[in-house]
Amino acid sequence: MTDLSHNEMAPDAELGVALREALAMPHEGPFVTRMRALVRQQRARGWDEVLAGWFWQGVLAASLAAVLGTVALRVLEVPATPAVNEESVAVQLLDAERPGTDVLMTAMAGIR
Amino acid sequence: MTGVDDSDLALRAAEGDPEAFGELVARHAPMARRVAHAVLGNEQDADDAAQEGFLSAWQAIGRYDVRRAFRPWLMQIVVNAARDLRRRRKVRTTEPLEFVAATSRDNPAREVGALDLGDKLKEALATLPERQRLAVVLFDAEGYPQSEIAKMLGIPEGTVKSDVFHGRRALRKVLESVKEEWDD
Repeated sequence: MTDLSHNEMAPDAELGVALREALAMPHEGPFVTRMRALVRQQRARGWDEVLAGWFWQGVLAASLAAVLGTVALRVLEVPATPAVNEESVAVQLLDAERPGTDVLMTAMAGIR
Repeated sequence: MTGVDDSDLALRAAEGDPEAFGELVARHAPMARRVAHAVLGNEQDADDAAQEGFLSAWQAIGRYDVRRAFRPWLMQIVVNAARDLRRRRKVRTTEPLEFVAATSRDNPAREVGALDLGDKLKEALATLPERQRLAVVLFDAEGYPQSEIAKMLGIPEGTVKSDVFHGRRALRKVLESVKEEWDD
């Protein structure tokens, strides 16, 4: 365990001054001027401005979701179901171009 | 705005006053840049980190608790910005530190006595681990209490004490050697 004397608990003024001088940076004025300009540009934004900033990202995301949804529906689109193939005799008979023999036979069997 | 204290300025900044925040920048820029310089080891990166730190503080000013002192709150943000930048530019930032460390070894004209105190201190700082460097700079150069430094760096207060102790030992040797030269 490091033994820390009472002197180690207080800042070392001489070392502190030397360190501040060693680490001092030039061009203080230009730095502050640049920062002030940046701060003015990037005013703290309210929620409405934050949401407004997300507007176009939101529109883009919604459009992308719509496109992907459409594509997915087309890919997954179920082929004609058996129910479609098994239309009632009455419906099939309504189609003048398609009175298949099976329909006619079924219809006749029903009449009997 | 010289008579206005930091908390009042921060309050006005939180209400969206960029001039109030600009005044805070002017007050604390020297310290923020020095601390960033201690972390990064070169002036250009230090300025980038200080700038990022101030802009982050500006964006987060609405969350600043006015019951707390402003300076440590700001400095924690600047320290984090400097550490982030150091991680991002690891290759770049190690170069100057290695260069500084090699200088006195490779160039006899730059042996002890040929460099000024500032250069020697920066050389010695470059040899310290980042946490020790920060602890000793924040404590001795910037005057933060060790409890506050512990919160800033997210480490126990005992660790700060130990880091200050070890960091000082290396830096004091440099200081003493330069003083001896001056006496001669």
